[in-house]
Amino acid sequence: MIEVAGLCKTYRVPVRTPGLGGAFRSLFSREVKEVHAVSDLHFRIAAGERVGFLGPNGAGKTTTLKMLSGLLYPTSGTLKVGGFVPQERHPSFLQQITLVMGQKQQLLWDLPAIESFELNRAMYGVELAEFRRTLDELVAMLRAEPLLQKPVRNLSLGERMKCELIAALVHRPSVLFLDEPTIGLDVEMQVQVRQFIAEHNRSTGATVLLTSHYMQDIAALTPRLLIIDQGRLRYDGDLEALSREVAPERRVVIRSMVPQLLPLGFLPQGDGMVATVPAGETNALIQRTLAVAPLVELGVEVPPLEEIIGRVFREGRPRSEA
Amino acid sequence: MRALQADGWSRLTHVARAWPTIQQIAFSGMVAYRAEMIIWVLSATLPLVMLSLWNSAASGGPVGGYDQVDFARYFAVNLIVRQLTGSWIVWELNWNIRKGELSPRLLRPMHPLVFNLCETLAALPFRAGILFPLVGALAAWRPELLFMPSGEALAAFSLSLLLSFVLAWLIQAIFGMLAFWFDQSMGFWSAWFALWSLAAGYFVPLDLFPEGWVDFFRCLPFYATLGAPIDILLGRSAVGANLAFQAGWTLVAGGLATAMWRAGIRRYGAVGA
Amino acid sequence: MSRKLGAFRLEVVAALVRVSLLTAMQYRASFLAEFVVGLLSAFGVAVPLFLVYARVPVIAGWNLDGALLVTGFFLLYNAFVAGLVEPNLGAVVDGVRSGELDYLLVRPVDAQLVISMRKVAPAAVWELFAGLGVVGVALSRVGVPGPGPVFVAVVLFVAGLVATYGLWLLVICTSFWFVRVDNLRYLLGAITDAGRWPVSVYGRGLRLILTTVIPVALVSSYPAMALLERLDTDLAFGAVATALASLALSRWVLFRALRNYASASS
Repeated sequence: MIEVAGLCKTYRVPVRTPGLGGAFRSLFSREVKEVHAVSDLHFRIAAGERVGFLGPNGAGKTTTLKMLSGLLYPTSGTLKVGGFVPQERHPSFLQQITLVMGQKQQLLWDLPAIESFELNRAMYGVELAEFRRTLDELVAMLRAEPLLQKPVRNLSLGERMKCELIAALVHRPSVLFLDEPTIGLDVEMQVQVRQFIAEHNRSTGATVLLTSHYMQDIAALTPRLLIIDQGRLRYDGDLEALSREVAPERRVVIRSMVPQLLPLGFLPQGDGMVATVPAGETNALIQRTLAVAPLVELGVEVPPLEEIIGRVFREGRPRSEA
Repeated sequence: MRALQADGWSRLTHVARAWPTIQQIAFSGMVAYRAEMIIWVLSATLPLVMLSLWNSAASGGPVGGYDQVDFARYFAVNLIVRQLTGSWIVWELNWNIRKGELSPRLLRPMHPLVFNLCETLAALPFRAGILFPLVGALAAWRPELLFMPSGEALAAFSLSLLLSFVLAWLIQAIFGMLAFWFDQSMGFWSAWFALWSLAAGYFVPLDLFPEGWVDFFRCLPFYATLGAPIDILLGRSAVGANLAFQAGWTLVAGGLATAMWRAGIRRYGAVGA
Repeated sequence: MSRKLGAFRLEVVAALVRVSLLTAMQYRASFLAEFVVGLLSAFGVAVPLFLVYARVPVIAGWNLDGALLVTGFFLLYNAFVAGLVEPNLGAVVDGVRSGELDYLLVRPVDAQLVISMRKVAPAAVWELFAGLGVVGVALSRVGVPGPGPVFVAVVLFVAGLVATYGLWLLVICTSFWFVRVDNLRYLLGAITDAGRWPVSVYGRGLRLILTTVIPVALVSSYPAMALLERLDTDLAFGAVATALASLALSRWVLFRALRNYASASS
């Protein structure tokens, strides 16, 4: 569905020196700096996949997404989405995709959301009956019925995002580009949006490429992970493989303090104790622990996702296994 | 509001300390955009469009006491006064109030209106810089337009110009503050501007209106912001009366602006923007 | 899409018009306030004219009635700019900043169409009425000419509108290349203000500019001259050619600009 090879994007940005002198100087000559937003990206995404695109601010996620949706011209490299070259912006290509930007909005601010849906229906040339069916489905899935008749400016951020999603999906696109769709939403609303995206993917089989810096989005939604940092691909694979690869150890946690366990490698932490061991030795440790203190309450923890990702960035080695 | 009150001496020194920085930032903000500079020079052409009509009309002899040179002088001074007394506060206030962006400004230890006044003053050298080449080009092209006003006229003009500046700024602030009460308050400003264009002497020297209207218009605030200093410099109206009306209107506008700010801020706080 | 392109576009235009009208109707109060503004600005155009003609009967070959005709056409042009051109093309500049433009560009419809048709400022209707009124009064004083001159006048006026639309679009496109030069549109507004007087009051150089580069004389002076039967019919053909050229050029530049936007923004 999506093929990316050797993709690069370089911006030329004017440099402004602060202060009066700098302002005067920039009247006559402007220094230009090259920013490599994306360099040498390679990946393929099959139809129906859900892929998470992860990276810190300025990593090149949005740039890549905009190139994939045809808004930006790549500096070099090749791109194909559904058989089309995105930047040619062929109507049949645009018909297939949709783009949702959590930080920007497409809804008409002054009008009820239903008007925006109508406008999109006309622009995408969706048949009325089909439009009604799609709309009913989407509205039901998002429980958005009461929102449709209110002017968008009166909706809360979360309600607005629901409507944004509907507006983006009325033409039944087969590829969804979602740029931080949960940004700024409260936890409850984040969960709803995630559920919706997963459900929509299951029922329509559309491909989903989602960027976020909420790890929960990724953990809950996208089995496959692309990690990008400073414009380069750092990792491509599934989440479990990543945690095995990067964070091979597990934490065995005990809720209470049992001094007899200290020799086994447990260290006091808060009210309880914790031991960190390679993933393969977890079971052995648990058995030995239970042998010493059979009634102890214990759990095994994988290091949190943030920490795993953080390690990928810190170690900075490009990896690929998909 | 607080900065305008009597205990404001420390506030004033505060403004004085912040002054150079505000000036510099505002000024370099403007200088940084060279394309805009050229646009600014060229956008001030409406008086020249008006001049073309009157110039054509006066080609056969003076019209209403103005010959072609008089018209050219009138509109040239018109251009200068308008540039030097201009500000953007009506748009800024309107925007800041409606978008809730007044709130961060209210948190600063400087009164938002005072801050804007600083910015407006900071724009003056920039505006003067635009005028300089324009007036120079005009003088080179039509040297007969140059004239040397008397010392008194120049002094009276400077005072009148200062009053025009303050009054024009206050009036803009008043219309900007209407945004506290009305969603679409810029319509009021457009209406005011349309009236102003006629009654201030922007389109036409007031002398050319029918007899009764001239004296009437000279008493109004429109004329006090533009026509008054022009006519003083060109020696076409009574200096004392013009200055008195300017001072009077400035006091009225100052009082109204202060009252509106107090009431407006209370309302802004109540709505919770 | 299996549908015909033509039908598809008409539907889009209808939807755009509907949405822009709905949006405009959200602000009914201001619609009435704008009535006063429209009336006043029509006054602003007409009053200097009456003042000057009260003292001089003929200026640069034009009497009051002829000059009123020019003014009427200028008000009609203003209504077009204020009602359609300015709201839409002005919004492009904001759209670049807010990202709204991104959303427009991922739609499978003609970019120029969406950019030019999204908004309408209904208050401009007052200026439209004022223009029609002034043209009507002037015509009643000079007498209505035959269908020929009227036809030429209409052709010239429409061609002038198209040509100036192209010019506005060109100006707006510059905002893709330079930051913050959206003020260029105020400049264009200031220059086109020159159209309010008969073009012969200006010097030769300016007159040439106002008929070719910034063809605002095409919407005001020339239709008036056509109605007064003081104009060669050939000029109408020239005007149509100018309009088409302006339209083609602006469309080309727009698509270049969009491409440039695509390769420059982030």
